[in-house]
Amino acid sequence: MLFLAANDPTDHVTDVVLLKTVGGTPILTMHMVTIAVVTIVFVAAMMKAAKAIATGPESEGNERYITKGRFAQLIEAMVIYLRDQMLVPVLGEAHTRRYLPYLLTLFFFILFNNLFGLVPVLDITHLVFGHDAPTWFGGTATANIMVTSALALLSLLLIQIHGFRELGFKGWVVHQTGGLIRERWYIWPVMLIVVPVELVGHFIKPIALAIRLFANMFAGHTLMAVLLGFGATAAKGGMGAWGVGGISLISGTAAVVITFLELFIAVLQAFIFMFLTAVFISLMSHHDEEHEHEEAEAGREPALEAARG
Amino acid sequence: MPLLLAAEEAVEHGVEHVGVMDANWLPAVTALVVFLIAFGFLYVKVWPQIVKGLDDRQRKIRQEIDTAEDAREQAKAALAEYERELASARDEANQMIARAKIGAQAAAQELRSRNEAELAELKQRAAREIESAKRSAISELHAEAATLAADIATKILQREISAEDQQRLIDDSLRELTSARHR
Repeated sequence: MLFLAANDPTDHVTDVVLLKTVGGTPILTMHMVTIAVVTIVFVAAMMKAAKAIATGPESEGNERYITKGRFAQLIEAMVIYLRDQMLVPVLGEAHTRRYLPYLLTLFFFILFNNLFGLVPVLDITHLVFGHDAPTWFGGTATANIMVTSALALLSLLLIQIHGFRELGFKGWVVHQTGGLIRERWYIWPVMLIVVPVELVGHFIKPIALAIRLFANMFAGHTLMAVLLGFGATAAKGGMGAWGVGGISLISGTAAVVITFLELFIAVLQAFIFMFLTAVFISLMSHHDEEHEHEEAEAGREPALEAARG
Repeated sequence: MPLLLAAEEAVEHGVEHVGVMDANWLPAVTALVVFLIAFGFLYVKVWPQIVKGLDDRQRKIRQEIDTAEDAREQAKAALAEYERELASARDEANQMIARAKIGAQAAAQELRSRNEAELAELKQRAAREIESAKRSAISELHAEAATLAADIATKILQREISAEDQQRLIDDSLRELTSARHR
C-alpha cells in the first residue's frame, strides 16, 4: 500500500529538491539533510561506543578492560576484525595505524547511510501525509552517485597523497611506467600502452568504487520498490481482489527476502569500498615489478658468481 | 533576494525529483563537508579512544597470558624440585634404614658373641671350682684315713687282742671311716 501512489519505482530512491532559487537551481535536497542527520547519529553512536570501549579508571580493577553494552561490543568486534584480519595483512602495521581512522570513518559512514536507507522513512511520510507532502528527510544517500563520487574523490586524493609520500615524485613517475623504464631500451615502446593505462587506472579505480556503491544501493532499493509495486499496479490495472491479494503476497514475500539481502549488501558494500581503498593505497606502496626486478637482480648475481667460480 | 523557499511550491506542484545521473553538486559537496567534519571529530575524539582501549586490552591479555605462563613454569619447576627432594629424602631414609639394620645386626652379633664368651668362661670357672672342691675333698679323705690308720695301729700296739677284739676293732674302724666320709 505504501507504493500505491508511485508510478516510477525510482521515485523512492532518487533525491528530492527541497529548496531552489527563483531560476530553478536546487539549493537544498533531501539527501543533503539525510547525510547530515545520519552523520550526527553516526558520530553520537561512535562516541558512545568509544566511551564503552575505552579503558576505564584504575579504580575499576580488571572491569575497566571490559566493554559494556552490546552496541559497543559490536563496534569493537567489527573494528578488531577489520583492523587485524583485513587491513594489517594488506597495509602492514605502520600504514594500518596511519590510515585506520580514515578507513574506519569511511566504513562506518557508508554503513550507517546504507542501513538508514533500509528504514522506510519516505514511505511512512507518504502514508501519513500523502504522496505530495514534502519529504525533508529519508532515502538512501549512498544511492546518490554524487555522494558516492565525493567519497571516491577523497579516496583518490588519499591514494595519490600516499603514493607521492611513499615513492617520491620520481618513484611515482617510475610507477606509471610499470617499472619498464628500468628495463632495456627496446622494451620502452611498451610504455606507450602501459603509461596511459596506469594513468587512467588512477581514475578508474575510484570511479569504479563510486559506481559500485551507488549501483548496488540504487538497484537494491529500486528492486524493492518494483516488488512492492506489483500489487498496486495490478489494482490499477483493474484486477480483482483475489488477484491483487495473491500478487501482493508473493511480491511482498519476495520483498522481505530481498530486505535481508539488502541488509547484507549494506554491510558488504561499505566493507568493499573501505577495503578496496586500502588495497589501492597498498598498491601505491609496493611495486611488484620493482621487487621482481630487484629479486631478479639479486638472483642473477649469485648465479653469475657461481658460473665464474 | 533571488532565493525562494521551494517547499511550499513542492507541495503545490508535486515533489520534484533529481534525475539519477543529474550532476547535482550539492549532495556531493555536502557529503564531502559532512564526512570531513565527522572524520576530524572522530579522528580526535573517538578513534584514539577505541584504538587505545583495544590495545590496552590486548596488552592486558598478553600480560595475563605471560604471567600465567610464568606461574605455570614456576609451578612446574617447584614440582620438579619437590619431587627431586622427595626422591632424595626417600633415598636418604632407605640408606638410614639399611645402616640401622646393619648396625643392629652387628650389635646383636656382638652381644651374642659376648654372651657366649661369658657363658663359656662361667662354665670353665664352675668346672675349675668343682675340680678344686673334689681335690680338696679327696685330700681331706686321705688325711682322715691316715689319722684313722694311725689310731688303729696305736691301739694294736698297746694290747694283745683276741680274735673277737680284732673283729670289733675292724668294725669300729670301718664305722669311723664311714662316718668320716659322710661328714
